[in-house]
Amino acid sequence: MENQVKQIKKTDVGFLITKIVVFAFFALYAFTLLYAIVWAFGMALKGQEEYYSNPNGLPQAWAFSNYAAAFESVKVDGNNMLIMFLNSVWYACGGAVLQVLASAVVAYVVAKYKFPGRSFIYGMALVTMMIPIVGSFPSQYRVYKALGILDTPGLLITKAAGFGFNFIVLYSFFKTLSWTYAEAAFIDGASHLRVFLGVMLPMAVPVMGSLFLVATIGLWNNYMEPVLFLQSYPTLTSGLYIFQLQTTRDVNYPVLFAGLLVSVIPVVLLFIFFQNKIMESMSVGGIKG
Amino acid sequence: MEQTENAEKTAVAENFGGVGTSGGKKKRQIKQKTLREWLFAYGMLLLPLIQFAIFYIWINANSIVMAFREFAWDDDGNEIYYWSMANFTRFFMEWSNPESVIVSALLNTLRYFAAGVIMVPVTFLVSYFLFKKIWGYKVFRVVFFLPSIVSAVLFVTTYIELIKYGGPLSTVLGWFNIQLPELINDPTRTTGTIIAFTVWTGFGVNMILYQSAMSRIPQEIIEAAQLDGCPWYRELWSVVIPMVWPTISTTLILLFTSLFNSTGPILLFADAGRQALLDNKEVTTVAFWIYQKTRGGVDLNYPAAIGIFFTVVSVPIVFLVRWVFNKLDPDVTY
Repeated sequence: MENQVKQIKKTDVGFLITKIVVFAFFALYAFTLLYAIVWAFGMALKGQEEYYSNPNGLPQAWAFSNYAAAFESVKVDGNNMLIMFLNSVWYACGGAVLQVLASAVVAYVVAKYKFPGRSFIYGMALVTMMIPIVGSFPSQYRVYKALGILDTPGLLITKAAGFGFNFIVLYSFFKTLSWTYAEAAFIDGASHLRVFLGVMLPMAVPVMGSLFLVATIGLWNNYMEPVLFLQSYPTLTSGLYIFQLQTTRDVNYPVLFAGLLVSVIPVVLLFIFFQNKIMESMSVGGIKG
Repeated sequence: MEQTENAEKTAVAENFGGVGTSGGKKKRQIKQKTLREWLFAYGMLLLPLIQFAIFYIWINANSIVMAFREFAWDDDGNEIYYWSMANFTRFFMEWSNPESVIVSALLNTLRYFAAGVIMVPVTFLVSYFLFKKIWGYKVFRVVFFLPSIVSAVLFVTTYIELIKYGGPLSTVLGWFNIQLPELINDPTRTTGTIIAFTVWTGFGVNMILYQSAMSRIPQEIIEAAQLDGCPWYRELWSVVIPMVWPTISTTLILLFTSLFNSTGPILLFADAGRQALLDNKEVTTVAFWIYQKTRGGVDLNYPAAIGIFFTVVSVPIVFLVRWVFNKLDPDVTY
């Protein structure tokens, strides 16, 4: 017994030393990330001359006017930051709504109804997730052009995909959801559509909400697709990059950083308010099905 | 007696799907109900299936078609396409050329992939110590996750400023009389610099996945190991890893699924003065090269052929990796 206690104490000391070392690494790593963000905030408050004379120090006079200047001077092909913000809203929120709704429809029907082809559809959803498609951008470009949705808000239709990660999550949800509620509604004379819209879908709102948040953040931060397929509708993320690419002379970096910080505010707010939901939703993917 | 016989007949007819009065009515009702259910199901699936047919099947079938068609200009300056193996011939010819963009792109892709593989155990260790509630673990969890939330455009632009000459990194190194070399504008160092960025900001989602899996391990098992005087590394190796192996294998399989799509935010490292970087063979990857060619908008068939080639190569790799991991999967139930 005494030996066992000694052994446990020895283990505790060993783990304490490891914890101190790991904590030091974690603190250093966290410092670099936070320093980058604080540095960006500091940069956004400097004057243009100070950017060159004092690149690493704190701002001497806090130029909050840079934020207003960003809305005036950061422009991409005539689109100012306000227009970019609106583009981000319809692209990110619209795309996320379509993604989640389409997945909910397919997941509900496949999980709750027996019909010829059901297993095929479920299998197709799984197989398409496993096939590692490399570089379909050229074909996407041609198809979008042929459909007339290239560089138009019509591109949002590409987001209404009913399969993929969202389908798997919602399928698992509907599969475990009791059918008793639906049966009660059927006895009251409700149609299948009414049961889906009025009874089952409202119960899926919390899950769909989490998926919507993750999809919105993903689309808000997506720059590759808008740069390629939505050139006339720059979002905040793609627009601020294109601005850097197009501005060949006298880039006002403090104003640019002010614009960049404004562009991340909506996503940071979402994260602050729904931190647990977002993290939980991302962790669902770790459950092996 | 007659009534009993009739009842028996009806029951038999019902059992054998016959056309007894109530049985027929019931069957018709069931049929109508089933038909209504099918109609509803197919009606609901119609639009998603059309969407899938256009944006998955058509796009990928078109990639195959494009791969086998060659592009040329006719005498009037119009684009013309004809069936040909030229894209693949050109692609295989490139392998014998040491200056080939594709060979360089593939090597860079493998570098990004290797960095991703190395990040798996590192992220796992980070998650383990957060799971063990190291001091400040709640704050660390949020801070480490931040790069997954905040736009890469902000992070890359800041990173470039931090590591450039005269920036904070060169100032700190200057205290130790170390001169910071040119990290971005020198193409031989650009890929390493971008990989360093992906490592710096790359803990996010996998960290959450591992932590979530670890939190599902029954506390009694961890406590039993501790009572037996099990040191932390033994607990990690013999208890935690086997218990969360399904999650580890899932992340590794996902990594292999995107083997030839491995890349970093190369696009964001170019500004007005560094646009040449985007077409530099020292910097590009397979996925980014295809993206860049699509941005160019001309001769899209050759990149489509390369995409098809790497897709075909990666399919057996992915299925082999899945098979291997399924064989390795410890049978843990908890």
